[in-house]
Amino acid sequence: MIDAVPLSDVLLASGALFVIGLAGALLRRSAITIFLSIELMMNAANLALIGYGYALHSLEGQVVVFFVIAIAAAEASVGLAIFVALFRHKETIDVDEIHLLKW
Amino acid sequence: MERLIFDAAAGLAILFAGVMVVHRHPVKSVLALVVSFFGLAVCYVMLAAPFIAAIQVIVYAGAILVLFLFVLMLLNVGQETRGLRRRPIQQVLASAAIVVFAALLLSLLRGHGADVPASVAAEAPGEIAPLARLLFSEYLLAFEALSVLLLAALAGAYVLARREDGA
Repeated sequence: MIDAVPLSDVLLASGALFVIGLAGALLRRSAITIFLSIELMMNAANLALIGYGYALHSLEGQVVVFFVIAIAAAEASVGLAIFVALFRHKETIDVDEIHLLKW
Repeated sequence: MERLIFDAAAGLAILFAGVMVVHRHPVKSVLALVVSFFGLAVCYVMLAAPFIAAIQVIVYAGAILVLFLFVLMLLNVGQETRGLRRRPIQQVLASAAIVVFAALLLSLLRGHGADVPASVAAEAPGEIAPLARLLFSEYLLAFEALSVLLLAALAGAYVLARREDGA
């Protein structure tokens, strides 16, 4: 492995993915797309963790990513159930239309 | 070679992440994110983490995003209406925040990573046994707590999504 992946490439890719996810979460109005963007940001963090584990010869990064993925699965199921419940009440998942807790 | 494949896969992941954010149709957003996650899985293989890559494909692309698709089909959510922007100031502020954050993050990351020595042939890359040993010894409590969490999420999803009339 003469030209192994340098950490800077991994961090750059991770940062780019995180910024894209942040843009989606802040600018889009469909709740589903916002949720997808949050998943993308989690994956950006995962990539950084794996990259550091690779550069530092540690398995801990992979263990943490394992837990993050499992928690993301739990979070996705509960979040989507909330959307289903919300859609039943409001007939929309546009976050501009959902202002129960906004003034 | 590893670096070449990593950069190509990461570029693919970033490209399709952009497609996901830009697309107005949520189903196409989900499908773009599937491609992005496959690219990330290739990245994980290049970073000597094949087990995580497999999980990425099976759990993320296979289970979580299919769950998204399932809910989208169930709710029959159409295209996001373009509409007139009722809160332009929020859009402007959000865009400014994103730009500032991106500049800060990328300037922070750019100089970073040079001080960490580049990995020299991680011995026995991609072996799962050491990972499993770590997971079931040092992280055993967290692992078991995770199963409780998944059970709680199962119950919570059921309670949230069932009909109100007690069916």
